[in-house]
Amino acid sequence: MIVCVSVVGHQNNPLYIQSFTDADDALKLHHIVHCSLDVIEERVNNPKKSGTTLNEAFLGLLYPTVNYKVYGYLTNTKVKFILVTTDLDVRDTDVRSFFRKFHAAYVDAVSNPFHVPGKKITSRTFAQTVSNIVGSYGLN
Amino acid sequence: MVEPVNSSLGKMLLEEVSPVVMVLCTPLVEETFVKNGLSFVETLKPFCNFSNIDVPVRTSGDQLYRLKKFTLRLFYASDIRQPNIQVAKQRLEHLITQAGEKDFQDLESDPPQIADILSNPESEIAPTWFQHYNKELIRTLSFSDHEAFDHPVACLLVVSSKDEEPINKFVDLFNTNRLPSLLNDGAMDPKILKHYLLVHDNQDATTERTSKVLSEMRSTFGNNECNLLCTNSSKEGNIEHQANPWASFKSDVSADKLGCALTGDDIVEIKDLMQEFASRHVIPYMEQKVRELNQQISATRKGLRNQIKNLWWRKGKDDVPDSTKGSMYTFSSTESQIRILGDYAFMLHDYELALSSYRLISTDYKLDKAWKHYAGVQVASHLCNYVSVEEMMGLAYFISDQSKKEAEYCMENAFSTYMKLGKSGFQNSTRCGLWWAEMLKARDQYKEAASVYFRICGEEPLHAAVMLEQASYCFVLTKPAMLHKYGFHLVLSGDHYKNCDQVNHAIRTYRSAISVYKSTTWSHIKDHVYFHIGQWYAIVGMHEVAVRNMLKVLDCGYQSKATQEIFLRDFFNIVKKTGMKHEVVGLQLPVINMSSLQVIYDDHRTYASQASALVEESIWQSLEDDIIPSLNSGKSNWLELQSKLLPKKYKESNVCVAGESVKVDLEFRNPLLISTSVTSVSLICELTPNSDDLKLVDKEPSSSSLGPESSTEHNQGTTSGFSSFTLSEVDFTLSGGEKKLVRLTVTPSEEGILKIVGVRWELSGSIVGVHHFQSVPAKAKTAKGRKKNKLTPTDALKFLVIKSLPRLEGSMDHLPETLHAGDLRYLVLELKNKSDSPIKNLKMKISHPRFVSPGNNEEELTTEFPDCLKKGDGQTIVQHETNRTSSVFAFPKDISLQGDRSLKWPIWLRAAIPGTISLYFTIYYEMENVSSIMKYRTLRMHYNLQVLPSLEISFGITPSPSRLQEFLVRMDIVNRSKSDYFQIRQLSTVGCRWGISLLQPVDTILPSKSLLAGQALSCFFMIKDCKKSETEEDKTMSLPPSQTDVKLFTQDDDEKLFDIVNSPLASFHESERSCQGASDQVNPNTVDFILISRLAKSSNPSAVPDLPKILSHHSCHNRIRSSNPLSWSLDGPQTIYHDFSTSLCEVKLKMIIRNTCDKLATVSIETNDYLPEAAAPSPSSGNQSGWRYVPTVTEEMKLTSDVMGSRLGKPPSSMESSPPFIWSGLSSTKVPIQPMSTTEIPLQISVFSPGIYNLSSYKLNWELSEHENASSSSSGTCQGYPYHLTVLQSE
Repeated sequence: MIVCVSVVGHQNNPLYIQSFTDADDALKLHHIVHCSLDVIEERVNNPKKSGTTLNEAFLGLLYPTVNYKVYGYLTNTKVKFILVTTDLDVRDTDVRSFFRKFHAAYVDAVSNPFHVPGKKITSRTFAQTVSNIVGSYGLN
Repeated sequence: MVEPVNSSLGKMLLEEVSPVVMVLCTPLVEETFVKNGLSFVETLKPFCNFSNIDVPVRTSGDQLYRLKKFTLRLFYASDIRQPNIQVAKQRLEHLITQAGEKDFQDLESDPPQIADILSNPESEIAPTWFQHYNKELIRTLSFSDHEAFDHPVACLLVVSSKDEEPINKFVDLFNTNRLPSLLNDGAMDPKILKHYLLVHDNQDATTERTSKVLSEMRSTFGNNECNLLCTNSSKEGNIEHQANPWASFKSDVSADKLGCALTGDDIVEIKDLMQEFASRHVIPYMEQKVRELNQQISATRKGLRNQIKNLWWRKGKDDVPDSTKGSMYTFSSTESQIRILGDYAFMLHDYELALSSYRLISTDYKLDKAWKHYAGVQVASHLCNYVSVEEMMGLAYFISDQSKKEAEYCMENAFSTYMKLGKSGFQNSTRCGLWWAEMLKARDQYKEAASVYFRICGEEPLHAAVMLEQASYCFVLTKPAMLHKYGFHLVLSGDHYKNCDQVNHAIRTYRSAISVYKSTTWSHIKDHVYFHIGQWYAIVGMHEVAVRNMLKVLDCGYQSKATQEIFLRDFFNIVKKTGMKHEVVGLQLPVINMSSLQVIYDDHRTYASQASALVEESIWQSLEDDIIPSLNSGKSNWLELQSKLLPKKYKESNVCVAGESVKVDLEFRNPLLISTSVTSVSLICELTPNSDDLKLVDKEPSSSSLGPESSTEHNQGTTSGFSSFTLSEVDFTLSGGEKKLVRLTVTPSEEGILKIVGVRWELSGSIVGVHHFQSVPAKAKTAKGRKKNKLTPTDALKFLVIKSLPRLEGSMDHLPETLHAGDLRYLVLELKNKSDSPIKNLKMKISHPRFVSPGNNEEELTTEFPDCLKKGDGQTIVQHETNRTSSVFAFPKDISLQGDRSLKWPIWLRAAIPGTISLYFTIYYEMENVSSIMKYRTLRMHYNLQVLPSLEISFGITPSPSRLQEFLVRMDIVNRSKSDYFQIRQLSTVGCRWGISLLQPVDTILPSKSLLAGQALSCFFMIKDCKKSETEEDKTMSLPPSQTDVKLFTQDDDEKLFDIVNSPLASFHESERSCQGASDQVNPNTVDFILISRLAKSSNPSAVPDLPKILSHHSCHNRIRSSNPLSWSLDGPQTIYHDFSTSLCEVKLKMIIRNTCDKLATVSIETNDYLPEAAAPSPSSGNQSGWRYVPTVTEEMKLTSDVMGSRLGKPPSSMESSPPFIWSGLSSTKVPIQPMSTTEIPLQISVFSPGIYNLSSYKLNWELSEHENASSSSSGTCQGYPYHLTVLQSE
């Protein structure tokens, strides 16, 4: 199950972070997302090591923590999407398609003329779309 | 990369993997050394590290190499055993606590900047005590059975010269009972190198006895194995050592006392002794042993033959059940021997040999493992042996700078195997991990090192905390630094520290973490860190710092309500604990919206109300242009006058008057979800009294020019009353997320310079928030004026306080908020001057003269409104010649206000047009008897009116075709209001020129008596132009004025009509006129109407007392409109008697043509001498209506009507048979007629026989042209009117 998705701006500022658990673990998830930024940076700076090509936005599994798997995705504008999941066997293609949908939702949200770039995404529609996407993947 | 030997791991290995010397000594020896504050081992310890021992060594090969660095480890025999885990744990804990206390002092300071951390050299990033901790941690594992490097290599037996029977003592010392178990249980060879040392205390032993004992020793144990050590040469025991060699080993005792009885010579002697011991005894012994073992092993194990044999042998061994318990590998077993060989070689820095032996034994163990799986209990210890070898192999690889991969592989293998062992292997895995991490660090693989640290966290929180912290420092050292992880691990570590009550450490880690999170927007994490560090600071009693950190958490609007409550509760608890009021600059609770800052004050401009103060200055300025006196030049204003009196410095500052308050509006917002009560909100001000010499003000006397730090004090002084200004205090409660605009005032009571510095408020009585206004954005609309002068924000909050002046207060009584269009109201303007000095020369200007008209004299109203507007009572009806071209109204000169007297002045208000109207009044006044820089002031009043639509009237006037002086008026009324009913009262024409009369009875016009909402109505009137011509004007004036009014209601016949020529209706009409049309002069032939109505029924029952009593609607410049631009009449006799026998009859006629349009008309008259057949009936039918009869006699109106009546009665029957007549004179004339003027054209006809002639056989061709060029001209033709002329035969 997907426990957390987040959008992090190109200055590593959180734009959107939403957890989908009932427990009060917001802080923990914040930390996990925050930490994964280091890994993303590392991936981006050493693309050879990570094995992904430069052109791909999907960064793959960032790191496995004890209970979670963290996946990353980097847009062309250096906005990072981070997905934290508890599923231990996740297929890359699923995550890829998740990020694609998520990216589309994000683009819709920031295309809103009232959205200030670099500020938190407060769109309720975005939140709804994201939870729909997450919900559709939670069933698998 | 650092060379492996010089890396920290290299150093560590050099220290830890070095020969152990077991020390056995008598109590008297200890006694000797206790004098120095040291034990015997401690005394020797500093001299066991040889940085350049330079001993040639030859181990396995033929190659000789020289040992440079060498270390001996000295232990008491009693210490040579596996340490108790509990004790070790306590020791570690103690170490951490100590370290925590040491760091405590730094904690008060602000957290370091992240850039500083990164720029620090590597060695300074992690606290130094980590190394001690790691060392201690590794030591908890020392002296295990299978690790030969921990087995004592030599034994040092020490006896004091004071001892009885020293030789026997030596023997006793090496008694097996007291030896460590290692030697006894067979884990190691009990035959070790022995060295005998005699200690001589110079302070209290004689040299003779010592030398005697020594010689005895030498004879007993051999010359080489015996040594003498003379110590404590200093009698007084107060030698202080520069660079005390023991200081670094014993940190908890003050360094001065250590070794106080040892002279420099003693130290040199100890040094020499140890050097000799190492180089002459220990190293050669080991060397020899290595060679021995190597030979032995080569013989049995090395080479292909041996290996095959070995395999076979092993197989054979399978059959023998191994039932021995405990250590299976005794020192004599081959495996142990190889191990010893390896370890010794390692210690002698012959890593090649060490490696080869480790490899050998490793393969053995691996093979062993296969069959040992079944042996249950022994698996663990066996594995330990194996893994330990692996570990050593890795280290050997590393230190010999060989294959990196191999080293790592070995370490990882060892580590993971240890981990698999679970709890029992944990300590081993920790040590292995530490080494591994060190190894990775030496190779700059910090990230990997961090993960190793992370893996050896284990379950014990304190241990985990230290490891996590070390991991975090590794992340900083990674290139590029992984700061996010650094922060995260610090936080984790801090939590663990907190769990084991190591609050100091917890604070330290969190403090470092703050530097990571400080500049980010990860508010969730930030709040967590700040909140907890705040709590912990409070625990250790540093409340100040605690409060400082907690403050950062207060603006946590995004947190859940429960969290906010916890934050606030804890915060206030901590604040209370400090027991004092904290003044916090820039407190975020509540948030101040600086852009909302607005300063309202009165200088020469005073405001009647809040609303008027908010009006834009330019509106007032344009309004006041006329009434404010200009000084020398047109450009100068009061400011320049001021500049003559004041130093330049104050030219730019605002002026306010002592005793009059300066108001500041500020918006407070509660960022939280929980309601917060804010108390004692007040401004922070400074008032510098004017000194005699204005220049001195620059110095700003210390009494009041207090800095922001001490402003609290300053304000407190204010409340106690000595200060020269008073401040208002406001308390309010903000519920969650609420915004409130708060008005704060300061009232200076002395002259001087007043500065508004900031605002302060209290939270729960213990926290004082202070906000300084320096950071006001320049765009803030601060001062209400002088936009020309670009004021800096601080200037805008600086005021020059001048002596108190009279101030006029004004209010408009009975002013309704909503009106109907046309509503006429009577208002009273009340002006008051509370001060004793009088004011004079009052002037008033009104922005909308169309709406407002001031009365003429004070309290003019005798009868009640609206009756006062009615006619009658013998009031002299004089139309005031109101000259309203300038809308300035000057009050009578003799009015002077002072004290409690108030001036009540009537004001008429008429809502001219519907919509929202802003009315601005500005009243100018001058001060009498005040010699001040301010000569005058203005009072500004502003009111908003909502004017609802009511009736809309329009008029159509068409000329009567037959009578030039009469016009038909059609009035269209539409009730535009939503739901109000109106009654029409009266219609009047303005001026004396036009008389008006009804065409229908009043009742038929509007049977329902009131006009419903949305209803439209048309009615007809007739107006008559009373002005005949210029010559008869005086007659017109004498017409009774009652003819200009028509009453349009019937209920109350007694009610008098409204007097429209009297003020205020007349004056309003005047302004309506000027507003409704500009072509006043161009066209004098227009009619102005005033319709007076009243509201019959209002939709809004609550507004009953406010009902409009009278509404007047003005319609001006109504033109007379017709399709024909011309109107004309034919003048001539009606009946002529003529004797046709003599001659034909010539009749002179006169045609008067009026051009009713505003264009130049050219008219030509075309006469027709024959009567058209078709033309005849139509004029006759038109005859019936009575409209086509133009009265010929114009002098007497009555007579005309008589004639008209008589003619109407008997229409001529024989029109068709009328004989022809001839138009004589000009048959065609072209006459230009100026707009709105008349011309007379003489006409003549010749009649040949008596009869009745219809003189309609002419046409008027007209042509209109705008200007001289007839490009845009229009033209047309008019058929003549019937005009019947009766010609009779004269008798």
